[in-house]
Amino acid sequence: MKILVCLKQVPQKDAPLKLNESGTWIRDDISYEVNEPDAYALEEALRQKEKHGGEVVVITAGPTRAQQVLREALAKGADRAIHLEDDGFVGMDAVNTARALAAALEGESFDMIFTGLQSDDYGFAQTGVLLAELLHWPHATIIIGIEKTESGVRLKRELEAGHYQMLDMPLPCVLTIQSGINKLRYATLIGIKQAKNKPVKRLTLADVQGKLGKNLQVVERLYVPVKQKKTEMLEGTSVELAKKLVEKLRNEVRVF
Amino acid sequence: MIHFRKSLEGVDRPQMEADVVIVGGGPAGMACALRLAQLIDAHNAAHPDAPMSKENIYVLEKAREAGQHCLSGALLDPRSMNELLPGFEKEAPLDGQVHKESVYLLTRAGQHKFPITPPPMRDHGNYVISINKFVKWMAQKVEEVGITIFTGFAGTDVLLDGERVLGVRTDDKGVDKNGQPKSNFEAGYDLHSKVTIFSEGARGSCTQQIAQKFQLENPEHAQVYGVGIKELWEIPAGRIAPGEVLYTLGYPLTTKEFGGAWIYGISSTEISVGFVMGLDYADPRTDPHHAFQSFKEHAFLRGILADGKMIRYGAKSLPYGGWNCLPQLYGHGWMLAGDSAGFLNSQRLKGIHLAIKSGMLAAETAFDALRSGDASTTQLAAYKTRVDASWMREELYPVRNFHQAFEHGLLPGMVKAGIQQVLGGANLGPDFKCSPGYKNMQHLGTCSVSDDARAQFLGPAKGDGKLTFDKLTDVYHAGTRHEDDQPTHLVIADLDICNRRCTQEFGNPCQHFCPASVYEMVEEEMVETSEGSGSTQQKELHIHFANCVHCKTCDIMDPYQIIHWTPPEGGGGPNYDGM
Repeated sequence: MKILVCLKQVPQKDAPLKLNESGTWIRDDISYEVNEPDAYALEEALRQKEKHGGEVVVITAGPTRAQQVLREALAKGADRAIHLEDDGFVGMDAVNTARALAAALEGESFDMIFTGLQSDDYGFAQTGVLLAELLHWPHATIIIGIEKTESGVRLKRELEAGHYQMLDMPLPCVLTIQSGINKLRYATLIGIKQAKNKPVKRLTLADVQGKLGKNLQVVERLYVPVKQKKTEMLEGTSVELAKKLVEKLRNEVRVF
Repeated sequence: MIHFRKSLEGVDRPQMEADVVIVGGGPAGMACALRLAQLIDAHNAAHPDAPMSKENIYVLEKAREAGQHCLSGALLDPRSMNELLPGFEKEAPLDGQVHKESVYLLTRAGQHKFPITPPPMRDHGNYVISINKFVKWMAQKVEEVGITIFTGFAGTDVLLDGERVLGVRTDDKGVDKNGQPKSNFEAGYDLHSKVTIFSEGARGSCTQQIAQKFQLENPEHAQVYGVGIKELWEIPAGRIAPGEVLYTLGYPLTTKEFGGAWIYGISSTEISVGFVMGLDYADPRTDPHHAFQSFKEHAFLRGILADGKMIRYGAKSLPYGGWNCLPQLYGHGWMLAGDSAGFLNSQRLKGIHLAIKSGMLAAETAFDALRSGDASTTQLAAYKTRVDASWMREELYPVRNFHQAFEHGLLPGMVKAGIQQVLGGANLGPDFKCSPGYKNMQHLGTCSVSDDARAQFLGPAKGDGKLTFDKLTDVYHAGTRHEDDQPTHLVIADLDICNRRCTQEFGNPCQHFCPASVYEMVEEEMVETSEGSGSTQQKELHIHFANCVHCKTCDIMDPYQIIHWTPPEGGGGPNYDGM
């Protein structure tokens, strides 16, 4: 089983975010980490490889600093990596990111491509699906279980309100993985050391530029929400309070 | 039942052989790695027939990323960096060169500017830096020269063979809160190394293991510490210039406590504000975080911070003792560098340049040991010889009595420090001795119930949410994160002392000195008494280890010395981005 895992480097969850000067994105002098659902996607790929053999390849599109997520993946057991390395990949919309990834895969052949369900920063939840479309492959989202079958894979999708969907899918396919599908492993010292000698193929923006179009989605300006917390104390007996509270909820907050 | 962290027994441990292991990737550790690489590169250029490898030199760093557990004011004296990487100013992240310093004495209602800035506090030519960004940059340099930094890995146990240090064990990963391995358990490695260098920062946990085992400290000159608490603020432009430095003494402390504050201009709208408090105070209710908050309420600070915004928080201990308190710095297979050794100039409030220099000297000594294949105590004694022959001694020896002069308060301290200034560092008599700061702590019963002179730093700060903050709000801004399902890494030898004796004697000072709300005394359910006279309520210690910012204050200041700070699962801890 040859599996490609798409990884994205995102700001650490507890990083102090500040707007950049043009107000279009955040200042990048913070720490980054791998997007959480992508980490689960990688873990799932490594487990599939351990069960069925094959190869796990990781890819990311981002600036030089993004090689951190590739190295981490190689340390955990991925076999090789592809880095679309350019600052220009920051802020690229989902279509162009998918096009860049698709272009980088020319000459490769995979049975499955895993991505995280969505990214912790932009949260599009589109790149994986668009990539499937560009490759003319079937796809399924919010995957929480993968079993290999004779003809392909049997998948478990997480729906709302505790419902699941089981479906069969032929290979090759693109799957977007939900956090929590497995338990993440730790990198080991020997893994980190060996990762240094694993191949990382570097491509630039120029290498894939021909396949890209105009960004259809552009962030013009970010705004920091103004704090609007307001506390109002209600007074009266408990019966009166309940009445007043229901009125407030119904007429002012409009929760029902 | 609290389960405390310790290395699991009876598990198969992977082993790895190393030439040099550097425990702790701060300025000392990174400088050590860089210097080693330089020496090896130079050697290989001169002796292509007998090359040495950098392959098996490792830096262990418990933070998720290099620099994330580094906290300082920070001012950098460039002396050692100029030796390590000449021309470093061109590429290192520096915020501004110091061009203006002033010192103020704060009283409750006013401030007095010192007519001249005392010479040790003149910082012209130094740089305001973010130690976090600076160390991150150093880490890049280390990786570029081909030395591996293992981030997210702590050294937890020193591996010993009699007097000889064999290396360190790294942290077990994937252990649950009851001490049982989880499905993703990874046993810590036994890293066997020819030379191990401990550069863990102040009160390092491995350093403490060997310090106690080998009695490295001179009991007459015990190390003394302070805790530094810092906030980054964004303020309206025009108040503090980049590279402007202000120091204050006095309020909110009285003349009995040692401490002071700094304000450094980072950019026209960003400042570093911090407060250092000596961990040798008497009243167990003293809360250094509260002192810092009260400091910000002073009119002088209000003027600077008004309409500003606090963006980051952190706390870290620092060694104050100076030259006479240096422990033995080396032994068979090991050396101490940076704050772990106590290389800090408490008169100038600076240690980064000394940490870097000590790392370089340890590297030179380790290099010779590798080349000769001899890492014995005799061979590594060259480290101490190098320190003695360097400008570190020139800088530290004349101020060896500085902190000790303040043991009996600010005013006698200033007189004694003045005499030292005239006598080249000597006293009118022998050098002062130094005993551990926790020994000064008085029983609660001997402290007055309401101490008006000290109300501004006793007990917790309430915080107004704008200028001042309660501890939890501040801790949130430290970005600290730990895996919840793991054993408690604050290891307490005897909880009974906490829940009974300490409550009686000291009123559980851990609640107060911890700047991160790790320790809380919680009213527990009724306990039946034997007389059957009903029930009594008892408070029990709860340890919120996930709040820990790795400052080590508890290990230092606990009056019974039963709290041992050990590293949690690697990767856990604060995120001092930009600090």
